[in-house]
Amino acid sequence: MAKLRTDFDTLVSALTPELYRYALGLCHNPDTAEDLVQETFLRGWRSREDLRDTRAARAWLYKILRNEHARLYERQRPDVRDPLTLPEIPVQGYDGSAEAFAMRRALGRLDPEYRDPLLLQVIGGFSCKEIGAMLDLNTNTVLTRLFRARKMLRERLGDRASREAM
Amino acid sequence: MNCLDFHRLLLADPFCKDEAALAHEAECEACAGFARELRAQEVQLRTLLQSPKAPEGLADRVRLAAGFQQRAANRRRWWYAAAAGVLLSIGVSMVSVVTTSLERSHLVLAQSVLDHIDDESHHLREVGPVSGGRLKYVFKRFGADLVADIGQVNFAAECLMRTRNGVHLVMPGQRGPVTVFFMPDEHLDAPVAVDSKRFDGTILPTPWGSLALVGENGEQLDGLGDRLLAAVAWPAPAPRLSGIVDRGHRLVALTRQQQDG
Repeated sequence: MAKLRTDFDTLVSALTPELYRYALGLCHNPDTAEDLVQETFLRGWRSREDLRDTRAARAWLYKILRNEHARLYERQRPDVRDPLTLPEIPVQGYDGSAEAFAMRRALGRLDPEYRDPLLLQVIGGFSCKEIGAMLDLNTNTVLTRLFRARKMLRERLGDRASREAM
Repeated sequence: MNCLDFHRLLLADPFCKDEAALAHEAECEACAGFARELRAQEVQLRTLLQSPKAPEGLADRVRLAAGFQQRAANRRRWWYAAAAGVLLSIGVSMVSVVTTSLERSHLVLAQSVLDHIDDESHHLREVGPVSGGRLKYVFKRFGADLVADIGQVNFAAECLMRTRNGVHLVMPGQRGPVTVFFMPDEHLDAPVAVDSKRFDGTILPTPWGSLALVGENGEQLDGLGDRLLAAVAWPAPAPRLSGIVDRGHRLVALTRQQQDG
């Protein structure tokens, strides 16, 4: 039990920053993101016996967080922040530039089926195969979704650029 | 690799290291321009998504919450164990109480049989014999039929047993008179010995109650019980009631008898 606890503490220290970023990418709300991270780790700690392979812990926690976020929407629609407004609580490293807001808005408008693999790739650095395993998709589907996600992102950013140019 | 495949591949992974893709990029100027633009946008995207920092102390709060959860789980486990212990103790006590109560109940019945014989010891001196008609009449009072000869009977009467009326017989034995009690609704799980300075005997469980056979010390009672049970067709017993209700019915019956008497 003591070793499990030590392993868990190490995992919390190592993964809190990136899980928080992933949560923020999903919900755009610093408060909700913080709650999601905490709930993810607690859920992970409660189900620690299920995790035989500690190397898979990272992907497992990402998956828990994604499920927790989906559960939030099932229970109640959380306070989804408009990506164009600044968070009330200052977030360290939060880019407040117009380009960043435009990018955030474009990301926020993506359907979850396209946004989720993109966030897992960009924030988590997971391969298409790993993303496929986490989302129950085959690798080709993941490739297609990533391709479409970036295509839509470019189109939306391009449209805005063209409108501003006019 | 053609331009379309290159675009598809790069949009799926802008920093893809695929050799065919790299070769195409080196050859095709348009695709090289597309790749530069896409990678610049990807850097912007990654910077945007990877720069927010987790609030200070979030990891500590998570660890603290997990610690609380662990302690709560431990407390729950302790309470479950304690509750299980208490329930086990109660269970053991209940079994002990019930067992003791049953044993005491059996002893009380045996003692009541002996007291009855002592109280009505004058019947032991009856020489009878009781007529067949009288015997049938006594059993008939309980809806029972005498279907075979049970031998000589010196005394036969309906009598108040411990709580209900039953049949009191006295028959001659080898060492002296033998008392027989047909006790309806006195249910036993197993035979109970009756033992005193003067008398020996047994109380046998039957479907309708119990049958007490008591003679002078050393009297041979083997087979008498079976013979009597075969000779007397006792009516089917009423369904057994729970202890409290059963006791209540007995009290009501006893009160009625006393009022009648």
